[in-house]
Parts: sequence; C-alpha cells; structure tokens
Amino acid sequence: MSVDYQPKIIGFLCNWCSYAGADMAGTSRITYPSNIRIIRVPCSGRVDPLFIAKCFKEGADGVFIAGCHPGDCHYVEGNYYARRRFVLMGSLLEYLGIEKERYQVEWVSASEGKKFTQLVSAFTDKVAGLGPRAEGQ
Amino acid sequence: MDENIINQIREKAKELLSSGTVECVIGYEAGTDGMTSRPAFIYEASDVERLVFDNTCTHNLATYLINKKTNKVAVVVKPCDARGINVLLSERQIEREKVYVIGIVCQGVVPVSWSGSGKDLQMRCKLCNQHAPVIYDFLIGEPAVEPVPTVSPWTSVAEMESKSSAEKTDYWNKQFSKCIRCYACRQVCMGCYCKECFVELLDPEWVGIKIDTSENSMWNMIRAFHLSGRCIGCGECARVCPVDIPLGLLNMKLAKEVAEHFEYRAGLSAEVRAPLATFNKEENLGIGE
Amino acid sequence: MTKTISKKELASWLDGLMKDRNLIAPALADQQTVFKPVASVDEIAFDFKNTALSPKEWFFPTTEPLFTIYQKDGVTELQPIDIEKESVVFGIRPCDAAGMKLLDKVFLAPPADAMYAERREKTTLIGLACSEAAPQCFCTSMGSSPGNAGDVDIMLAEVGEGYTVEAVTEKGNALISNLKLSDSNESAPEVKCPAELQVKDVSKAMQTRFEDDYWSRVADRCVHCNICAYVCPNCHCFDIRDYPTSEKTERIRCWDSCQSPGFTRAAGGHTPRPTKASRLRQRFYHKLLYFPERFGDYQCTGCGRCVALCPVNIDIREIITDIQKPGVKSGTKA
Ligand code: SF4
Ligand code: SF4
Ligand code: SF4
Ligand code: FES
Repeated sequence: MSVDYQPKIIGFLCNWCSYAGADMAGTSRITYPSNIRIIRVPCSGRVDPLFIAKCFKEGADGVFIAGCHPGDCHYVEGNYYARRRFVLMGSLLEYLGIEKERYQVEWVSASEGKKFTQLVSAFTDKVAGLGPRAEGQ
Repeated sequence: MDENIINQIREKAKELLSSGTVECVIGYEAGTDGMTSRPAFIYEASDVERLVFDNTCTHNLATYLINKKTNKVAVVVKPCDARGINVLLSERQIEREKVYVIGIVCQGVVPVSWSGSGKDLQMRCKLCNQHAPVIYDFLIGEPAVEPVPTVSPWTSVAEMESKSSAEKTDYWNKQFSKCIRCYACRQVCMGCYCKECFVELLDPEWVGIKIDTSENSMWNMIRAFHLSGRCIGCGECARVCPVDIPLGLLNMKLAKEVAEHFEYRAGLSAEVRAPLATFNKEENLGIGE
Repeated sequence: MTKTISKKELASWLDGLMKDRNLIAPALADQQTVFKPVASVDEIAFDFKNTALSPKEWFFPTTEPLFTIYQKDGVTELQPIDIEKESVVFGIRPCDAAGMKLLDKVFLAPPADAMYAERREKTTLIGLACSEAAPQCFCTSMGSSPGNAGDVDIMLAEVGEGYTVEAVTEKGNALISNLKLSDSNESAPEVKCPAELQVKDVSKAMQTRFEDDYWSRVADRCVHCNICAYVCPNCHCFDIRDYPTSEKTERIRCWDSCQSPGFTRAAGGHTPRPTKASRLRQRFYHKLLYFPERFGDYQCTGCGRCVALCPVNIDIREIITDIQKPGVKSGTKA
C-alpha cells in the first residue's frame, strides 16, 4: 500500500453532543486527521441505515457515527433505538464483505473533544491500514 | 392431499360465506399445471369446491391481507404464515376483527416450481419447531407433539460468516449481479407493505434505476435490513426470485443477530413490538465501550 | 434433400465465428441456462428446453446508456454510444425469434430506435429447433412452431449426430457460404407443442370485457411483481432517467413493467392506472388487443416463461381461454 493513501471517511455526528465535541476539539486546537468529512445530524437516531449503505456504495472507505451517551439523548430515546439498528447494520455489512473495521459507532459528549479526536485518529489509522476497498466491494 | 383437511376447509368456507361473516375466503386451489396449488380468492359459497390443501401450498397468504382491509375476510394459514399475521397485527396494518384465521396443523411443504415439486421438505419446514399456528379462529388438525428440528437454523449462516471479506464480497457480488430488479421478493413478502418503497423514491433517489451490481446490492441489502426482526422465514422471497438469489441466507443472518442480541423471533405474538421498534435502556450491545 | 453439418464441424465453425464477432449463446450461469457471451464452444449448452431469460436483452439491454453529455470550456457536447462489433446469437428458439420480429415492429417503426436498429443490423440469428417442448410451451397456438425457421437468419435442427442447416436470409447465406455441408435425406423429427389454444376470437372478446369483474378477480391473486414482463421476449417498456455528475450527464434507459405502481406516472404524481386490477388488465389488453390492433399480431409468442415463472400461476393460456367464454370468473383451467 502506498504511504500516500488517504482513506475517505464519512462521519455522522449528532448536533447536540458529538458535533459540539468536534467543535470543542477545534477550538482547543487539538489536531486530528482531516480524512473525515463530517455530516451533522440532529440526533444519532436520524442516521438511517440507508445513509450508511449509500456511503459505502459511493466509495467511502469508512463510516464513523457518534451520538450522545445513552441517557443523554436530546430527544430522550433516539440513541436507544439507533444503537439497535447500528448493531444489526454492522453485522449485515460484515456479512456482505465490508470489513467491520470500516464501521464504528461511538458515544461522545460535548465536553469530550479530546476523546473525539482520539477516536477519529484511531479509526482513521485502522481504515488506512486496510488499504483501499477491493474492486466492487 | 389430505381429504379430511380439504373437507374441513371447504365446510368452514361455506359456512363463513353463506352466513355473510366474511366477504371472501383466501385459500388455495389447483394450479394450471395440474400438479401444484396456487392462491385462490373465493367470494361465493358455491365456489368452495375449488379449495384444496396439499404439500405444494407454499404461498404465504398473509401477504394478501394488506389488499383486503375494507371488509372482513378469512384466510387459510400454515403455522409460518400465522406468524406473519401476528407481525401485521403488531404493526397495526390489519385489524383482528376483520380477519378470520383458518389455521392448519401443517406437516410441511415441498419445494415448488411450476409443473414440478420436490419430495424432500423445504428448508423452513426442516427447521420448523411449531406445526400448529400461533394464532387462529378455527384450527384444522390435531396439534401433536411439537417437532424438534434436526437441522440447526444457523449452519449455512455460520458457514458464510467464516469466509474472508474478499470471499464474501465476491460471493454476494456474483449473486446480486444477477438481480433483474423485478421486486418479486418484495411483492410476495407479507412484511413489505410500504406504499412507497425506498427503492422507488425519486427524491432522494437512494437506488438508481440502473440494473447493475452496485445498485442491486443497495437494493438487496436494504430490503433484507428492513425485514430484520420482522421476517418470519416463510422463504417465499427466495422461492419466487427468477434468478435464484439465495435471499434466505441474508434474512437468516439478520434473524440470527436478532435472536442473539434481543432473544426475539418474529411473529410469535401480536402484543410484542419488533426489536427495532423498541429498546432496552440497560443493554449496551457492544457500542462505545 | 437437406443440408447437414456434423457436431464437430459446427463447433469449429462457431469457434471461427467467435474470432471477429461476439458469440451470444445459451450457457450455464450459476445453475441456470441463459443467453450470454461465450468465449469458447465448450461453454455452450446445446441441450436445453428454453433459457430462463429471453435473449431480448442482447438487443434491448436491461440497462443501457443512450448518450453522454459533456461540458467542456463552455461547449456542450453530446457523445453517442458506440455499438460493439458484429454479433451472432446462436441457439435462439423459434418463439424467441418470433419475439424479435415483434420487437422490430416497435423499435424499428420510424423513427427507428438507433441503438436497437444498429444492434439488430449487426447481429445474425442462428435458430435452433426445439427437440422437446416444455410443459408451458404454446408456440403453435401463437403462430409459430418448435421447428419454425421464419424468423431467423439460419436455422438448425438436430438430426442424429449433426444438425440440418438452412440459410433463411441473405445475411444467413453470407455466414454459411464457406461452410462444407453434406447432403442428406434426413430431416428433423416433428416436435409437438403441448397446448393447443383457440386464439381466433380473443381480440374480439377483449373488446367487450374491459369493465368485467374478471380482471379484479385475477388481480386478487397477482402480486404485481415485474417477473412476467422481464422474462417475456416481447415486452419492451422502458424508463429513462438522467444521471448528472460534475463532469458529465448520462442518459440511462432501463426496463420497466406495467405492473409497477410508478409505471407511466406523470409529473405531479398522476398515474393512469392506479389500481392493481387496472395494471394487470393492461398487461393482457396490450398483448391481446392493442398490439394486434396496431401491428397485426398478438404480442405473445407462446414461449411460456411467464406461465412457468409467475409466483402465483397467472397463466396467460388460461386467460386466453377464459376471456372467450362470457361470464367466466377466474379459475377455469387452460
Ligand atoms: S423476507 Fe422473505 S422469508 Fe422473510 S417474511 Fe418476507 S418473504 Fe418471507
Ligand atoms: S426477486 Fe430476485 S431478481 Fe427480483 S428483485 Fe428480488 S432479488 Fe432481484
Ligand atoms: S402476473 Fe405473475 S409475474 Fe406478472 S406481475 Fe403478476 S404475479 Fe408477477
Ligand atoms: S440527540 Fe444526540 S443522540 Fe439523540
């Protein structure tokens, strides 16, 4: 694999926590890989599995999703529903041949800017380590 | 053919139709190949002689209830199809008062194609541990001791799971590339009742009209996902696929995940919500540790 | 007197054709016999009843780009699609060949469909008579027969250890001009098609039964998938959509079917056939009334694929029979 390989990563971040967490990382000037393209969503519950499938279909190398910690969802229950979907979707992706390292779901609060950057860095490294996705995957 | 079952179906149908209890009885009749059965819609008591039942009655008639919501109808169901009725009830798609369920204690059905049927039972029947319907108004047959399946439902799934990512990709690409997007799998499924399916949405267009591996994969993946925790394993989708894509292997994977994570099996009760329509605060499901 | 070719010579002839042409022939793909491009004669299935899908997709593909639009330095450019080299479709059955004739009526009527016309022009059809009919076959009733040579360029029929060869058209003649054929007195045995239907009065009967309850009764059972249209050698409806990206726009044409709820939906959402019964009725009215009115032939050649593949046994033979008997509800056997 070439050293220059830069994976394309799509991040879905909940507006109320993880997105604010990413913001905090920015204002605190903590650096993290710029491979992630962030899409702000109102709640992790807004992330339809269709979004995830579509990302991979359009050529994303990895998909990263982060929402409020269980119990902290702005809409009270959004992430409780969402995590069930995410678990099933993750196993389906793996079953269809998309390595499970390419897909990660995390809980990140608005104050966890540091944690956010660590997670994203580790995820980016993991995805980069896999190399580009196989033809037709 | 079991004359006794057939006679009871006909008698019941006659009674329901002549008393005006139901508008229509959805059952099975002989098909044009003279070998296999097909769905039948009987509106008049004088037509009940058309009704039959045998081991080629593979169709899941619960599917048709979605189109028959106005007046009360009766429907003949096998135990697997009966679970489909529970799914529709729990999702508030049909009203209990408007369906008269004629349940059959089933001995299994065989693989069926036009002008031919197999001898061995269908896979779902080999896996079946419930030969009496979970829901009925009138039961035909004696519920005997419930069978213990000799095959494990997850064997083929585990085999696929054990393959490498490259092998899996290869396998599914080959399968999905055959899809001609006839949507027969969706149309025969009792769980696929959306008025507008995601695959046909124009704005946003999730799946393009191009019939190619990439678009087809999107279709096949999300079709299966939308049925996770709702698929009752009737196997109709795979039966009707004209290009023989093993859709059951996808559905079973999700059924396995649902069983493992949520200890749930679709259709056992009309009172319980499907796993993706509810949650449990205490579970952590391995996310964000 | 007939001309014959041995199996071995046939193989080497096909082998030769493959050098500068695409050879599309029945071959096994994942347990089903379908028409597909083959790279060697060994791949060809010579012994099959009828293929799972019809060969129409080689003239009217499931999906095809019609053209691409580029924009470069403020200039918009339309780039047509190049059609491949010459092709030979080997092993086409009489029913499917008759189907090509019907597609011609639609796609070659002026203004001709450029893509279809070019593919048709560049393709030679080598027919193969059926040595056995399948239980769903009814070609004889629809004006063809298991050995009919009328709609191909070259016709073959199996006899003993070889095939009889008949060049039907000029195009066919050109292709076999260098072939060494033997003279023989043998001719292929006649094969009988199982169903004999009365079709004479179908269109007339259809004219009086548009509002009949019959259609909603049959539609009760229909699950409204697209199988029948997609496996049919004559169904030809399509949808067109544009796919723009930052560099170009592709115009795509794809198969469509009258059974799908979005079929002929107009801007604003109006659908001329909103109910399932009206969609099912359309299928049979198109095949048995509108098409004959316009083009003189039923739009069905009796290949039997929809009969065999319909998940719920909607059987066009049964419908043809029923519709000529006034007052019939759904349910008489063909
Ligand atoms: S997905 Fe297939 S097996 Fe499951 S309920 Fe629907 S038709 Fe039956
Ligand atoms: S039935 Fe088979 S070919 Fe048709 S849409 Fe479903 S998977 Fe594709
Ligand atoms: S007639 Fe059969 S194949 Fe055609 S749409 Fe209806 S169910 Fe599908
Ligand atoms: S609001 Fe953040 S997960 Fe629901």
